Amino acid sequence: MSPSPSPGVVVDSVARSFGSVHAVRDASLEAPAGQVTALIGPNGSGKTTLLLMLASLLRPDAGTISIAGFDPVTQTEEVRARLGWMPDVLGSWNVLTVRSALETTGRLYRMTAAQSSRRASELIELVGLGPIADQPARVLSRGQKQKLSLARALVHDPEVLLLDEPASGLDPVARNDLQLLIRDLAARGTTVLISSHVLAELDEIADRAVYLEAGVTASADRVAAAQGTERPWRIRARDLPGLGGALVAAGVHPDDIRTDRDELIVPVAGEDAAAELLTRLVRAGVAISTFAPALGDLEHTFQGLARDTHRPTGSTR
Amino acid sequence: MNAYLTGIGVIFSLEMRQRVRSLAWYILLGVYVVLILLVTVILALTLGAYQSRGSNEAGNAIYSTVIYFVLLLGTLVAPALSGNSINGDRDAGTLATTQVTLVTTGQLVLGKFLAAWVTALAFLAASVPFLIYAGFAGHLTVGATAVSLLVLAVELGVVAAMGVGLSGLISRPLFSIVTTYLVVAALTVGTLIAFALGGLVVQSRQTTIYTGGTDTAQYDDQGRASACNPPVTQVQTIPRYDRVWGLLVANPYVLLADAVPTSYDTSGEQPVDLFGQLKFAERSAQIAPRVQQTIDECSAGYGASQASPTPRHVIDSTTPGWAVGMLAQLVLAAEALLGAWRRLRTPAGRLSKGTRIA
Repeated sequence: MSPSPSPGVVVDSVARSFGSVHAVRDASLEAPAGQVTALIGPNGSGKTTLLLMLASLLRPDAGTISIAGFDPVTQTEEVRARLGWMPDVLGSWNVLTVRSALETTGRLYRMTAAQSSRRASELIELVGLGPIADQPARVLSRGQKQKLSLARALVHDPEVLLLDEPASGLDPVARNDLQLLIRDLAARGTTVLISSHVLAELDEIADRAVYLEAGVTASADRVAAAQGTERPWRIRARDLPGLGGALVAAGVHPDDIRTDRDELIVPVAGEDAAAELLTRLVRAGVAISTFAPALGDLEHTFQGLARDTHRPTGSTR
Repeated sequence: MNAYLTGIGVIFSLEMRQRVRSLAWYILLGVYVVLILLVTVILALTLGAYQSRGSNEAGNAIYSTVIYFVLLLGTLVAPALSGNSINGDRDAGTLATTQVTLVTTGQLVLGKFLAAWVTALAFLAASVPFLIYAGFAGHLTVGATAVSLLVLAVELGVVAAMGVGLSGLISRPLFSIVTTYLVVAALTVGTLIAFALGGLVVQSRQTTIYTGGTDTAQYDDQGRASACNPPVTQVQTIPRYDRVWGLLVANPYVLLADAVPTSYDTSGEQPVDLFGQLKFAERSAQIAPRVQQTIDECSAGYGASQASPTPRHVIDSTTPGWAVGMLAQLVLAAEALLGAWRRLRTPAGRLSKGTRIA
């Protein structure tokens, strides 16, 4: 263990444009060591561009980036020695076997042949590619390539791990394994920054979230405001008409109640209101089997922010 | 420095395994060997029939032809093998994952260039048995053998470097391969066209004072006429190839011919192989035509104005230009690799339109 904790990832007012396209306009975020930070945003919001800048591949037009205490622009080598990057594009050297692809990556990180070979075996074990370790990469399925890509990002045991859509294409078991692996890495002090648009899955794994939209990271205020808005809750009871009556009696407007198969969905503003509603329903004697938010925390915030941004502002030219 | 070389080595071996060592490549090499075998056998049978016993002319001719054949096929195959080495990786999504490792851009470009060069050299290596046969049959000098092989290897390296460089400079693999072919075509065919056109553009007026025999004149055995008309002054324009001959030395085939020490036949005046004949043609272009000439069939005889120096005399009295041509090609190749290096440097600043970094 190092005496001082690693600063992880710090991004301050970073911008990057491609010609007239402003991919990232003003992004600021912090990803502390030992935590999993989710980077959330709709398609085309600049997530991948931001990650490319963090991965030392793109030069920001403005702002500063610090990866494990080093600047990717001026201290590229120091950053690369400490950074693992799993891109959203699944590229693999088709002719090489899984094992030799990992060994080659180790060699590219200036490890000796023996070190690379040992590390490749460890990683094959870790991500569960054992049965196909000596198959050429071109025969791998999408999910297996995903695992190979993750293993490649881990070859040099990085302090900072950037994962761009790591779980797409994975089956539920593999996805669960991935989550355990990422949590384990974070528990050992790795800074993990993970981007995805499958928000339910990030909900289970992320300690914190950064929202990016149209190249701008959302401020803490806007996130708090979005979290406080009403969100749908899912309530299930054997006696649906009785539940409906109890809801109206508890003060829910009848027009707000939606029926979804054998559940009712009602809007609730925040955790406190939900607790109060549940208490009333139980007091009214309704036998409730499910009472839960219909949207995950991240998704709710995300949708709240998206609504906020898309609302017409009234300014015209 | 050692660590730097190790990085190049890792890229080199990755490239060789990933790109080159495929079944299609071995088939190509096999077809190539069969072609060379055919060429050698046909030349040995046909040229051998003309050759007097104990002479080495057939061997020399076979050797030079096989070398040219290797140059032809090598420059035809090398662009296809090297022309997508960088943008092909970008398309496959393996470029960026290599760039985020500790391998430097210089190591990446040099490793890819070496792999492309060695691949092209494999074609040379496959033709070595035939070259050895021709070399023995022709009693080739060590100098001629070494120079021709060396120049050939450098030429293949130039094409490989152009391919790798252009694949870094141009985003689409198809375009970079085609552009590499166009560069090869510009060097091999383009220089010839430029030479021919250039000679026509740079013309001189040639004044000839001609004193010809009369219609009834008798000619003696020296070509002298017994009676002559008054002198006639004729003015015509002539192409000045001597001012554009430099274009020829950028041509790989001419360059190779110009560099190889020439072997002459038993008379000591005529070159015996393709190298020598091409060299003679190229060197002849250096000789300036006479702007002012006098042809007097009465005093000097017809033959005097027509007498031309022997090939050996021409070759010995003119300038070898191959070093300049090769230098120009090496500068071009280095420029291409340098351009690719600049384009690949990360963190990337300006990106060309349509470039995907990852």
